[in-house]
Amino acid sequence: MMQFTETPLVLPLQQTIITTTTNNNILTTMTKHSSSSFHHHLPRSSPWTTTTGSSLSFPPSKSSTIGGGTFGDANCMEQLLVHCANAIESNDATLAQQILWVLNNIAPPDGDSNQRLTCGFLRALIARATKTGSCKMLTAMANANANADLMIQTHKYSIIELASFIDLTPWHRFGFSAANAAILEAIEGFSIVHIVDLSSTHCMQIPTLIDAIANRPEGPPFIKLTVAGATADIPPMLDHSYEELGSKLVNFARSRNVMLEFRVVPSSSADGFSSLIEHLRVQQIVFADEGEGEALVINCHMMLHNTPEETLNVINMPNDMSPNPYSIPSSSSSTSSASNRTMFLKALRSLDPTIVVLVDEDADFTSSDLVCRLTSAFNFLWIPYDAVEAFLRQGKQRQWYEADICWKIENVIAQEGVQRVERLEPKSRWVQRMRNANFRSASFSEDAILEVKGMLDEHAAGWGLKREEEDLVLTWKGHNVVFATLWVPA
Amino acid sequence: MGVEMENSSSAVTVTLSAAAASGEASATSSASLIAPPLPPPPPPPLTKKKRNLPGMPDPDAEVIALSPKTLMATNRFVCEICNKGFQRDQNLQLHRRGHNLPWKLRQRTNKEVRKRVYVCPEASCVHHDPSRALGDLTGIKKHFCRKHGEKKWKCDKCAKKYAVLSDWKAHLKTCGTREYRCDCGTLFSRRDSFITHRAFCDALAEESNKAVQTVVVTAETKCSEEPKIQTVGALSSSSPPPLPPQCSVISALLPVQNPEMPNNLPPNAADDMPSNACANAISSCSSNGGSSSNSMCTSVFSSPSVGAPLQPQTTAYSDLICAMARTECPTSSIATAAVTEPTFLRLSPSNGFTLFGMAAQDERHYARPSQPAMSATALLQKAAQMGAAASSASLLRGFGISLTTSPDQQESLQGNHNAEGDSVNPIAGIGLGCAGDGGARLTELMTGPSSLFGSKPATLDFLGLGMAVGSTSTGGLSALISSMDGGGRLDIGTTLDRRNLDD
Repeated sequence: MMQFTETPLVLPLQQTIITTTTNNNILTTMTKHSSSSFHHHLPRSSPWTTTTGSSLSFPPSKSSTIGGGTFGDANCMEQLLVHCANAIESNDATLAQQILWVLNNIAPPDGDSNQRLTCGFLRALIARATKTGSCKMLTAMANANANADLMIQTHKYSIIELASFIDLTPWHRFGFSAANAAILEAIEGFSIVHIVDLSSTHCMQIPTLIDAIANRPEGPPFIKLTVAGATADIPPMLDHSYEELGSKLVNFARSRNVMLEFRVVPSSSADGFSSLIEHLRVQQIVFADEGEGEALVINCHMMLHNTPEETLNVINMPNDMSPNPYSIPSSSSSTSSASNRTMFLKALRSLDPTIVVLVDEDADFTSSDLVCRLTSAFNFLWIPYDAVEAFLRQGKQRQWYEADICWKIENVIAQEGVQRVERLEPKSRWVQRMRNANFRSASFSEDAILEVKGMLDEHAAGWGLKREEEDLVLTWKGHNVVFATLWVPA
Repeated sequence: MGVEMENSSSAVTVTLSAAAASGEASATSSASLIAPPLPPPPPPPLTKKKRNLPGMPDPDAEVIALSPKTLMATNRFVCEICNKGFQRDQNLQLHRRGHNLPWKLRQRTNKEVRKRVYVCPEASCVHHDPSRALGDLTGIKKHFCRKHGEKKWKCDKCAKKYAVLSDWKAHLKTCGTREYRCDCGTLFSRRDSFITHRAFCDALAEESNKAVQTVVVTAETKCSEEPKIQTVGALSSSSPPPLPPQCSVISALLPVQNPEMPNNLPPNAADDMPSNACANAISSCSSNGGSSSNSMCTSVFSSPSVGAPLQPQTTAYSDLICAMARTECPTSSIATAAVTEPTFLRLSPSNGFTLFGMAAQDERHYARPSQPAMSATALLQKAAQMGAAASSASLLRGFGISLTTSPDQQESLQGNHNAEGDSVNPIAGIGLGCAGDGGARLTELMTGPSSLFGSKPATLDFLGLGMAVGSTSTGGLSALISSMDGGGRLDIGTTLDRRNLDD
């Protein structure tokens, strides 16, 4: 817990808040009005304004009773965070400190889900202030206070721990079951299947896929599994080597009478997996003769958003990080504007994959404006907090779970440049990217949808499935969470 | 099936008692179709678990045979005014009161009513026989649906189908809550969760360890005249704890065991076919050498593209293994088998578990199988065919070597590091005799695991190898050669280092 000066330095701010809280309606309207300028790019309304005319049956978030007012109201918290971010960005240390003090008091890390969420942002803002050094006083204070509190203790999961972490919510399982069902259909008739698993979850999807493949009527194919190793430390982090992981997978596959070849290709999302692409290219040349019988499956599960996109200023990149790792024969001037994300998708297309599954979180964290990112992140990351509020008890697992979200918040808020790897884009933009890369979208089969529905039935009632054209979207209380899309070469 | 049976039986019990209760509440004039009250509910039908066979009716009971249509008609009692249908006459009578129509409800009578029993309309069914008739209408209805009807109620979660709606509903309540138990003791309600856990749980690795061990043990005892039974016994009796991380890497280089060996082979099954097991190993060796040269080449090809400092050891490994296997003679593979075995023997007592299972099994991970589509059983059969004829002699020789050297290995374990050096030489010599460049490789096989005792993990050697492979980048076949050269050179280097350390 951060300790700011016990006596508020300036009273007017506090009074303002107290005044507004005496009439909740005024606060709400004010908040909505003022925040509309920040997240006008968000098509949906704030998730907490469910009280009026909403078709949702869920009750509005409970307000905190700390201080006797409604400080815990999420809109209020969002506003305070926005003000604080503005203050930090404009070097207004005094104001920043006052707001931080208020936030610190209304958002304990062990409060309700909104308070926990706000606390995550609070920490991230302090980390940013500390990092930029814009607020000297804050920096000093943050340093003076136990750094351990500010440090996010991301956990390195054992494989078994990670498996049960994945199990908590459909956050990942949604993509797993949709993708696995789609892959199973796409590889029908192929005797060799090359699966490239670009997943943030360290192959957690693979056992169920192997299991499904093992039972296919025509007998299992030979599976080549290639993963990108040595990627940056992005949660959830695994406390095992990929060699160990691979040996376990191969062992498991054998127990299902499936032949599996596991390969790790050191490759980084920062350069758009260029070495992986290179590896796949060489493989294709080598296997050109028997290429007919081999399916190439690219499974992208919440990892592509780590690749740099257009808002990452190429000029500011360190020298050792080549902006364009792909060797394009044409002049560099035409390609220098293309981001690694674009280049990666183009390169992927050139491999002529049988199917590409793209699963990612449906939010926009790419804005170069801090406040935009903050509101966007705040209006998305309440979901993981809210989703486990009902059932995840205090304890190690919750601690790890929330530390990973905090890491995300911190990355979005406090990091800039290549360090900021949480560059989520909404589904619409990914769809555009895939089309630009000459992919055509494919739809999920009814079986796949049944599979996903069955999986969702095992989880809380707040989770839902939405079909948007050919794509599937996981929702929480009606809000988009994760999308799953299928792509084939056009 | 067992679960289904249980479900259905419980469902039936419930229905019966309910029927009995309703019967009691509304007893009756004689013309009713409803089963009269049966003071003690009859034993639930349709279960083999019951003490008495279902459907042993009172010989005095009136046997009623209904046509399938009548039996299945859901709303047989139709109101003439509004056409609303009812399953029971009693309900229709109650409904008729609403229309101000004449109605007649049965009254409870103390008079003993004659029991009715029902037979199944399906002629081939055991319950078609009046002597096996079922005691109530609902029971025979459900029986007919379950056994002879269409299963039109499908569970969305697990795709099970049910003919009776109540069965389906009962299943829905329990579906997904069923427990899956891993050998490690963890319980799971979801199949996906169980599978994912299972894949990564050490319990699976241990299980396959045991299976492989058993196969090896039987192979040894049957094939060699004077087997080291104590050693073998120690091997098989030790229960393997979780394996240290080095093992997987070490074992990755052993192209010995058949990649197709089913890990779930029960011990007695393995006992039954020791020759198969032997032949199996042979077939894997020879097929590695011969048929799949294509795939092996390619894995050498592919490795240059991954020439980064953090080279995955596995790549380098399988490449080198393949390169070795390409030297063609099956004996070289077998020699490798022979040489690698002592390392397990040497290591296993000290660590309290056997490396062999893990080693053999891990090797299978990385060795490119020659015929991917072939199933385990198919390979076993094939091996059996090749079996005795092929080269049991050379296998014997292989085991012979391993057995003769193992005492030395064990000595070296007990702290005699010089002996370790000695024990390497004869084996390496044999290896060199069999396969050209393999000799260098064999030295590595020996020295690699020994670094377990040092501070350096064994992986370091292989990292070196990996870089050697990587540095040759696009050479194609030359990459193959140079990777072997590089591998050999590096190995010797590490061997020397190791010896210095030991001294």
